[in-house]
Amino acid sequence: MLNVRNLKAGYIRGAPVLKGLDLDVARGDCIALMGRNGMGKTTFVKALMGVLPQISGSIKFLDQEIVGLPSYQISNAGIAYVPQGREIFPDFTVEQNLAMGQIGKPKWRNDPVDFVYEYFPILAERRKQLGGTMSGGQQQQLAIARALVGRPDLLLLDEPSEGIQPSIVQEIAAILRRIVEQEQLTVIVVEQNLDLVRRLAHHVRFIENGVIKSGVAVDEINKDPTLIGRYLSV
Amino acid sequence: MVAIFRYDNMEMTLLIGLDAASYILTLLLVCIGLVIIFGMMNVINLAHGEFFLLGAYTVVLLQQYALPFAVILVVAFVFVALVGLLIEEVVIRRIYHRFLDTILATWGISLALKQLVIILFGPGSQQAVAPFVEPVAMFGITYSSYRLFVMAMAIAITAATFFILFRTRLGLTARGVIANRQMASCLGVNTRRVDRVTFAFGSGLAGLAGAIMAPLMSVDPQMGVGFLVPAFLSVLVGGTASPLGALWGAGIIGGSNSVVAAVWTPVIAQIVVFSLAILIIRLMPNGLTGRRRR
Repeated sequence: MLNVRNLKAGYIRGAPVLKGLDLDVARGDCIALMGRNGMGKTTFVKALMGVLPQISGSIKFLDQEIVGLPSYQISNAGIAYVPQGREIFPDFTVEQNLAMGQIGKPKWRNDPVDFVYEYFPILAERRKQLGGTMSGGQQQQLAIARALVGRPDLLLLDEPSEGIQPSIVQEIAAILRRIVEQEQLTVIVVEQNLDLVRRLAHHVRFIENGVIKSGVAVDEINKDPTLIGRYLSV
Repeated sequence: MVAIFRYDNMEMTLLIGLDAASYILTLLLVCIGLVIIFGMMNVINLAHGEFFLLGAYTVVLLQQYALPFAVILVVAFVFVALVGLLIEEVVIRRIYHRFLDTILATWGISLALKQLVIILFGPGSQQAVAPFVEPVAMFGITYSSYRLFVMAMAIAITAATFFILFRTRLGLTARGVIANRQMASCLGVNTRRVDRVTFAFGSGLAGLAGAIMAPLMSVDPQMGVGFLVPAFLSVLVGGTASPLGALWGAGIIGGSNSVVAAVWTPVIAQIVVFSLAILIIRLMPNGLTGRRRR
């Protein structure tokens, strides 16, 4: 479904953060991208969304080349993005935030959004509440719901556990797991939180210095603790 | 206020009140396009006065063909919106977030448009005719019916603009793009198209304001400037946290100006208005409604 070849991308000309990254993601897979800070995890998902000023190489999504496309076309092609820090619209209500997830997509613009309220009942209770007044965990749920209402095929999650208390992280992981199965989503999740990775991912890819160093099935990181030590400890 | 006037002079009070309301609403009419282009999109458009001018000249031109006034107003809106669209596409889109360049570029556009008008219509003043002139008698005074029409139009246009901004999908999209451009884009919104439409809409409103005001003014190439300063001042005083700020700004600037001008002199009114504006901006640098969160 997603084939990345020799992806070089970054923020300044001549200083790529991603240095020839290759990655293949099969439909239905759920991949956790792990690695230390500054290795290029966030840069990678931003490259997929087309928001980086410097990018070269090839990204084929559903056989369409998306390098060089503007973000809104990438989004309309079926990739949804839940960014680090969530970036919900603080002055918009829950409903309006969800509307923003559909407004740019002629195909889904008039679709009901009720199915996300079933995954996230708290959002249904707070339809009229301003996004900015909600807790971190609720905002995260809102950001995920906003991504879902646009009916993506591929979901990109950047640090969904960041700044959220552990019990809520577990809850969100469980909901995400259910969503991925029921909506037949393919997922790439950038995450430092091992607990969430174990609950959600099928495979783990380790990123180091802008390239994918190795990949294992998620069970392997339980069996072989040295893996985590090698790629994640400082 | 009451203490200043003698109690037996109700008509005078009413007249000043109406004049104040007329000026406030006129200012609001001119402001509303500025609220969108300056307040929301953060573009300092010094050609805003010329958009107003183009709207007024549309009236002068089309009245020669004896078109109904309502049609002329629609044409003025659409025509100036298209001019705005063109200017956005050719100039403005290259200089978003470049404050100083925006001032220079739009000043250039302002000069060019003004000269174009002079070439086409000459430097002299033209006359637009009000569609109705019968004064209205009410509460013991008579008042210009066209001024009342202008006031009603100002209210209607402001209400319509706010309805579009806060109650429609188009408005939500525009506000979303302004709040977080990159995120909106990642959600599938074609932000370029939204920029174009928003700028054109704001321009069209300026043109519509010019068209509505034309019969009350001498239509000449300098007419845009007179309203540009108080309109910018209103938006600054009101703040850009909410488009509603312009309501407050126009109320304070327009209200104090016309009341002081009626009680003392227009010169003192100017002094009072600018002192008031300086005071408010000094104490509340982001205006009455504060700064928009980004």
